[in-house]
Amino acid sequence: MTTMRSSGAPYLLPMLLLSVVFFVTPLALLVAYSFSGKAGISLENYSAFLGDPFNFRVLMNTVRLGVLTVIGTTLLGVPIALLYWHSGSRTRQVIIFLSLIPMLTSNVVRTFAWIVILGRQGPISQALLGLGFTGQPISLMFTELGLVLTMCQIDLPLIILPLIAVLSRVNKQLTDAAEVAGAGPWRVFLTVLLPLMLPGLLAGWILVFASTSASFVTQAVIGGARNVYMPQLIYREVGVLFDWPLASAIAVVLLLSTGSLLLALSAIARHRRLVGHA
Amino acid sequence: MTELGLNRRGFGLLAAGVAAAALLPARARAAGSLVAATFPGSWEDAYRRVLTPLVSAAGYDLTIAPALAQDQLAKVQASPDNPAYDTLLMSPGQGAVAIENGLIQKIDPGRLSNWAMLDPAFQGEYGPTVTVEVNGIAYNPDMVPKPAGYRDLFENPAYAGKVSWTGFGSNTAVMAYTQLAKIFGTGPDDMDSVFKLFKDHPENLKSVIDSTNHQMTLYQQGEIAVFMCSTNNVARLKALGLAAEFAHPETGSPAAPVNIHLAKGSRNVDAAYAYMDAAISKAAQDALKLPPSEMFPTNRDVELTPGIAAYVTREQVASLVYPDWSLINKNRAAWIRAFDTLVAGG
Repeated sequence: MTTMRSSGAPYLLPMLLLSVVFFVTPLALLVAYSFSGKAGISLENYSAFLGDPFNFRVLMNTVRLGVLTVIGTTLLGVPIALLYWHSGSRTRQVIIFLSLIPMLTSNVVRTFAWIVILGRQGPISQALLGLGFTGQPISLMFTELGLVLTMCQIDLPLIILPLIAVLSRVNKQLTDAAEVAGAGPWRVFLTVLLPLMLPGLLAGWILVFASTSASFVTQAVIGGARNVYMPQLIYREVGVLFDWPLASAIAVVLLLSTGSLLLALSAIARHRRLVGHA
Repeated sequence: MTELGLNRRGFGLLAAGVAAAALLPARARAAGSLVAATFPGSWEDAYRRVLTPLVSAAGYDLTIAPALAQDQLAKVQASPDNPAYDTLLMSPGQGAVAIENGLIQKIDPGRLSNWAMLDPAFQGEYGPTVTVEVNGIAYNPDMVPKPAGYRDLFENPAYAGKVSWTGFGSNTAVMAYTQLAKIFGTGPDDMDSVFKLFKDHPENLKSVIDSTNHQMTLYQQGEIAVFMCSTNNVARLKALGLAAEFAHPETGSPAAPVNIHLAKGSRNVDAAYAYMDAAISKAAQDALKLPPSEMFPTNRDVELTPGIAAYVTREQVASLVYPDWSLINKNRAAWIRAFDTLVAGG
């Protein structure tokens, strides 16, 4: 063990250096900048941010968007992952290919494609019109629903891939045994598969939540100016109002709030009782 | 088949060689090159197409870097000793901020051979004016009637739910809002009257978007029918084959001169002067005045096209509405925050 540690250190050094130079140092600068006030070190940026109820609502909206997207991607991703698990090799290849394709396209391109899909002349509006659910074309642009739909499509691979990775290791004999013991499909899913899928789900939730809450372009284009989220607030302070200390404080608040949620999810992922023996 | 034999030392040397080779041309180019910021979209296309060969003929490599004026400011502010751009392109609003923060420097007009071709109004001590953007209202004639002015957009039911606005971060928008403040309030800084106007007409809050570029995209998709614009925006939409017209507001068209500034700390000053000189040359402005860019030429020797003359003549330029940018800059941060809160339902 000692030999391993002493021989492994030189190999870790480049990675450690990279982390310190490109991650820890900028982060430390960001935090330091957030405490710079007009007369030296102060908490004025934090009090300015937290003292405005509008900002608090924006923070809550950001968390809400992340949670809604996590729910949406879970509802869409779990059936796809199960289909993958039940399928033969050819279908599996197709599922992997279709899951990866969106990741090979720029986020900006996908966002602009959604403008067409969500617009008055888009397929959603036309389908609702054709089916008689609405009397006139409707637009889902600049709505939270439209934004959640877009984010679900963009972030779907982030939950499908961890789920597939986890399910690939699940032995089919476990579900066969449950069925032989008289369990129906839902019982097999809830008592056998779901606990085994939980590590993949938690990894996917972390990735989707982090990606959604930081997705500046999609939030700005699809959400419009009515749906304001933390990244837009940071951009406004940096790029329009040039108030960098306040922008740093907002970034730190975003980091802490989303970070604490992600830490909680990570803690659950490591909990032996909740995640079984995984 | 012969095996490729490469040991660790050989691989290291090869990698170092590749890295050095990659760096060499960049250093070689740096001596005679410059990075010029321009607005994204039609500006970027036009400047790359027209100015790159002219600057190249003067012996310099030109890299056109698209960025909105506020993004240019943010990037230069982030690293003032090593500016991201050698020249900036902006209107007086952001120009004033750049001067205040010491980000741009006064130029030496003696180094610009085309300087005398500009009217005195376009000869700024911090750089030449390359065009004047005339602002007004873009509308889709297939969807709405021609608006008489800003008041019409709030009082005529034909426009209800079809007008898009942007926040106070946009120069085009802030010029329109100062006009609205004059119409519905006591003066250009009476923004409370504008906020009240939006509160009384909440349908106008539904389509508030973050930038004019995004409005152009939504206009293409038929999502909006009216937005505040410059004549260049309408020229671009027309060039794309869309039904788009420009309306001069009855209270006057706000205008914004667009200037090239020399970034303080630029290491390519000679190239920057060559670029500025090219941008105000007859050759460049003769090309830039044509569709799809249709930029108003500030070089006196350049004839206006019928298309530009239909928007504004040289005689009308002086009578356009030029907002008080010191007043705007003084209040802008508060206006931005108040309007964003209003739009988000606060």
